[in-house]
Amino acid sequence: MIEDRTLNGRIFATVNYLLLSIIALLTVLPFMHVVAGSFTTSAELAVKRFILIPTEWSFEAYRFIFSTNTIFKAMGVSVGVTFFGTLFSMLITSLMAYGLARRDLDGRKYIMFLVVFTMLFSGGLIPSFLVVKEMGLIDSYLALIIPSTISAFNLIILKNFFQNIPEGLEESAKIDGCNDFGILFRIVLPLSMPAIATLSLFYAVTYWNTYLSAILYLNDSAKWPIQVLLRQIVVLASGLEYSPDLDASVPPPEQTVKMAVIVVATLPILCVYPFLQKHFAKGAMLGSIKG
Amino acid sequence: MQEATVERIPIAAGSERKKRIWRNKWLYVMIAPGILYFLIFKYIPMFGLVIAFQDFKPFFGFTGSEWVGFKHFTRLFTEPDFLNILSNTLILFGMNLLFYFPVPIILALMLNEVRINFFKRLFQSLVYLPHFLSWVIIVSISFVMLTMDGGIINELIVLLGFEKVNFLLSNEWFRPVYIIQVIWREAGWGTIIYLAAIASVDPQLYEAARMDGASRMRQVWHITLPAIRSVIIVLLILKIGDVLELGFEHVYLLLNSMNRDVAEIIDTYVYTAGVRQGQFSYSTAIGFFKSLVGLVLVMFANYLAKKMGEEGVY
Amino acid sequence: MKRKPAVVLLSTLVALTMVLSACGGNSNKGTNATSTPNSSTSTNGNNDNSSETPAKPTEITIMLPLNVAETPPDTIKNEVEKLTNTKLTYQFFPADTYEEKLNASFATGSLPQVVYLKNQATFMQMKEAIRDGQFWEIGPYLEEFPNLNKLKPEILNNTKVDGKLYSLYIGRPLARQGIIYRKDWADNLGLEAPKTVDDLYEMIEKFTKADPDGNNVDDTIGLADRNDLVYGAFKTVASWFGTPTNWGEKDGQLLPEFMFEEYVQAMDYIKKIRDNGLMNVDFAGTSKTDQVALFTSGKAGVYIGSMQDINSLDKDLVKNVPDANASVHALVEGPGGNVSTWAIPGYNNVVLFPKTAIKDEAELKSVLAYFDAMMTPEVANMMYWGIEGVHYTVEDGKAKASDDKELTEREVKGFRDSVIGEPETNGQLEAYIDLEARKLAEQFVVDNEKVAIHDPTAALDSATFAEKGTQLQELINDATYKYMYGSIDRAGFDAAIEDWKSRGGQQIIDEFNAAK
Repeated sequence: MIEDRTLNGRIFATVNYLLLSIIALLTVLPFMHVVAGSFTTSAELAVKRFILIPTEWSFEAYRFIFSTNTIFKAMGVSVGVTFFGTLFSMLITSLMAYGLARRDLDGRKYIMFLVVFTMLFSGGLIPSFLVVKEMGLIDSYLALIIPSTISAFNLIILKNFFQNIPEGLEESAKIDGCNDFGILFRIVLPLSMPAIATLSLFYAVTYWNTYLSAILYLNDSAKWPIQVLLRQIVVLASGLEYSPDLDASVPPPEQTVKMAVIVVATLPILCVYPFLQKHFAKGAMLGSIKG
Repeated sequence: MQEATVERIPIAAGSERKKRIWRNKWLYVMIAPGILYFLIFKYIPMFGLVIAFQDFKPFFGFTGSEWVGFKHFTRLFTEPDFLNILSNTLILFGMNLLFYFPVPIILALMLNEVRINFFKRLFQSLVYLPHFLSWVIIVSISFVMLTMDGGIINELIVLLGFEKVNFLLSNEWFRPVYIIQVIWREAGWGTIIYLAAIASVDPQLYEAARMDGASRMRQVWHITLPAIRSVIIVLLILKIGDVLELGFEHVYLLLNSMNRDVAEIIDTYVYTAGVRQGQFSYSTAIGFFKSLVGLVLVMFANYLAKKMGEEGVY
Repeated sequence: MKRKPAVVLLSTLVALTMVLSACGGNSNKGTNATSTPNSSTSTNGNNDNSSETPAKPTEITIMLPLNVAETPPDTIKNEVEKLTNTKLTYQFFPADTYEEKLNASFATGSLPQVVYLKNQATFMQMKEAIRDGQFWEIGPYLEEFPNLNKLKPEILNNTKVDGKLYSLYIGRPLARQGIIYRKDWADNLGLEAPKTVDDLYEMIEKFTKADPDGNNVDDTIGLADRNDLVYGAFKTVASWFGTPTNWGEKDGQLLPEFMFEEYVQAMDYIKKIRDNGLMNVDFAGTSKTDQVALFTSGKAGVYIGSMQDINSLDKDLVKNVPDANASVHALVEGPGGNVSTWAIPGYNNVVLFPKTAIKDEAELKSVLAYFDAMMTPEVANMMYWGIEGVHYTVEDGKAKASDDKELTEREVKGFRDSVIGEPETNGQLEAYIDLEARKLAEQFVVDNEKVAIHDPTAALDSATFAEKGTQLQELINDATYKYMYGSIDRAGFDAAIEDWKSRGGQQIIDEFNAAK
């Protein structure tokens, strides 16, 4: 890469690095507090309130949450739902987005409007529950995936990305005898890796955060994903669901346990990003195919 | 350009249209599963909206409940605080648009100028972390830092010789605190999509520009920004459609008796007046009103975008 | 290669739509099949039961809120099944979204045979459905069950709807509120436990200003309070001043508590404490977690709320300040020597029996038989304390929790809030307490009951209250905080009351008085 050697350019670069470093620091500090809080004692956390490095190290919180297999089971469910859900969603979304990105598709305007309409109007919890129930999805993992197959937002974004691919490429593929499926899978998708990576991440995060559908559609608590456990502990430990009429001999979970469960429940999804990150530098591909 | 051709065709012979549809049959097969999804999981449940015009009782169901016309809408519009709540909602929305929306774009552009790959990657992996902390956690960490009862930031302010600032229990500070938290949590996450758009830019364009001696700023202005313009516009329209989605949980956690005058928004009102009282119909009616406002705004924004020669979202 | 999963998934989707259309055709069948697998099987079980094989266990599905971190394993459930000859399915759902689950299940006819509500507020919301005949009226059957018949009539009365009984209640002590304070600080300063509200003020003041921890640094505050007017300090203090519980009678008319002069006196009291910097000034935005942290970190000396919090407060306090020592007090005298305190209606939750799941009387009776059995010492102890020798031991006729607190927390505690009745009626063991302050607290709970003021509207109904009571109460809560923070004066507070009245409050007053 050729660096900008002018004085202005250097000043710009320095300020840029400085600003970004400050921003990174600001975003990381509260997260450090959560991580540090999970490795300390509840006593230290109560006194200091905000800590970045524990003075009293303790692994008690982790020992506690890993002492049963609930968290592993829940994690397994979440990983499975996230993996298959993302795959399924990306497939259906790509198909639809590609169709709608083609300007010669009759009726695309109306379909797009109907899609946007669903972002604004929704029938609410009970009718959705009825549909899921009528489809026989209650107590099935599919209830966590199928009712949220397509996010209208993601669909619109992906369609927008597809639209920006030069149509000439598709034309030439057609002449080479590719049908629409061929064009999508051989040409359009490989050219849209940054978009595919981004939207996969969006879907993955949505699936990872599945909470309410699990509660509504799964009666069997053994099937609940990690977010249910996470939220239950956070809510109880934050005193949000505090009701003094409950039995007082049930103290809420420790603050350190709350921090630890956040760390454990967030770590796997954080690992997804670095894998996708490499695709963000793949702009070069477009040029190579063209050339 | 291409759009224009499509618009013209239906005026031409219908047979040509049929031919085109037949030629595109595989495209229809491709969008079929998606359409089916929207029909089953989005449009069928929409019959639930009828309860906005009923006195819905869960046990009578959608058909058995009494029809009451616009009763719930009348209640909402005659609520003494209605205008205040609506304006609070719109102000927060405006602040979101003005202060939050540009941040991810600027961050993405700044990051695009970073040439050290390691720094770039590290930064990306760090700034999107906050998105994974729930509002409960963020608000409680903020409380600990901002409280006048020994919060770090107030201690610092005192140390510097100023008066303590009432961040948490005042009308003046609610909005700044809210928007800073939104930026803090979402800005890094929001850059991802722009980074993807930037990554799709043909590098040859930059090379050509450099050959012509274009400066950094000029490259940003003439290559990067135009490349992500359509994404920006689409996101802007979608954001406008989200006008009244300001994060219920977030606002509700910040809301207290001392800042309610500015912090009560439609979502929190629905919660106290509707949900907590089991008033299904009233809650739905308010939601319906919100959706209508969103629809009008989206249609307007989309119209404007098209006027300006953009694709829009539909 | 990439197309293969596409085909598979596409066909899945097509298959699913066929499922949908198939279901649409005979929706009746669909409804029954999915409501819960047990609703149909239970009917079978019940039929068998009522004919000739009583040995066959009754199948019961129960839905209840989850108040602990995770769903308990089957350990306790299995024991209870053995004791009661039942086959139980306990479906726990997180407490904070319990209403959503409840409403969705209700509206779609998927409630199981036994439904625990969440608290009194959800009970209020259900009343309309109860009146509509969605749930079994159980009043007439109670006398057939000797143990259920022991349930306290005055509390059953509080849970009646239009004079009829539809529910069983989960009992709670009427009045657990009091002061938890730093005994060591009081001793350092030569203070006795506060007898009157003035003594309490003095304690709070000295805890702030007289350096109670003796470190020569001004680093303490008297009171730690939170953003809760009911379970925080305010309601308890107000009741010491003589404010009625929620509603009171004045000149023969029922009026809400905030229309009584004592309520204003209590606001003035807290206002004075805050104005003088004797408490956490941000209390109107302070969560329980932050409030507790103020006390356990050794910064604050007085906590007003449930005295049973002493165990966890003391435990964490001692970790931070090893020589600290907390104690409890209650029965604080108001001005003019008045001694009173507020009270809950004696229950915190109820159990209902939906008609959609329980088909006939025989089935209802078999379900009630389970609850009858729950009110025997064996079952009540099993569900409250766990397995003897594992989760607890009996010492001096009381249940002493085992040292493995985690095990109890995981396996037993989820069931605790589902035991109907109270120790006096279900024969469950009293707790063996080793913490002195907690013993004192239990004594105060008993004494509190003697001076407790009951809510006269507990068994009354008001349609307006059910529709907008919560929303209107918000107006008063705001005004109360604003008054205590000094941003409105008495005239402003009175204006808020007028506002409350004009928006529906007057109707509530009228409706309660008409129902009286």
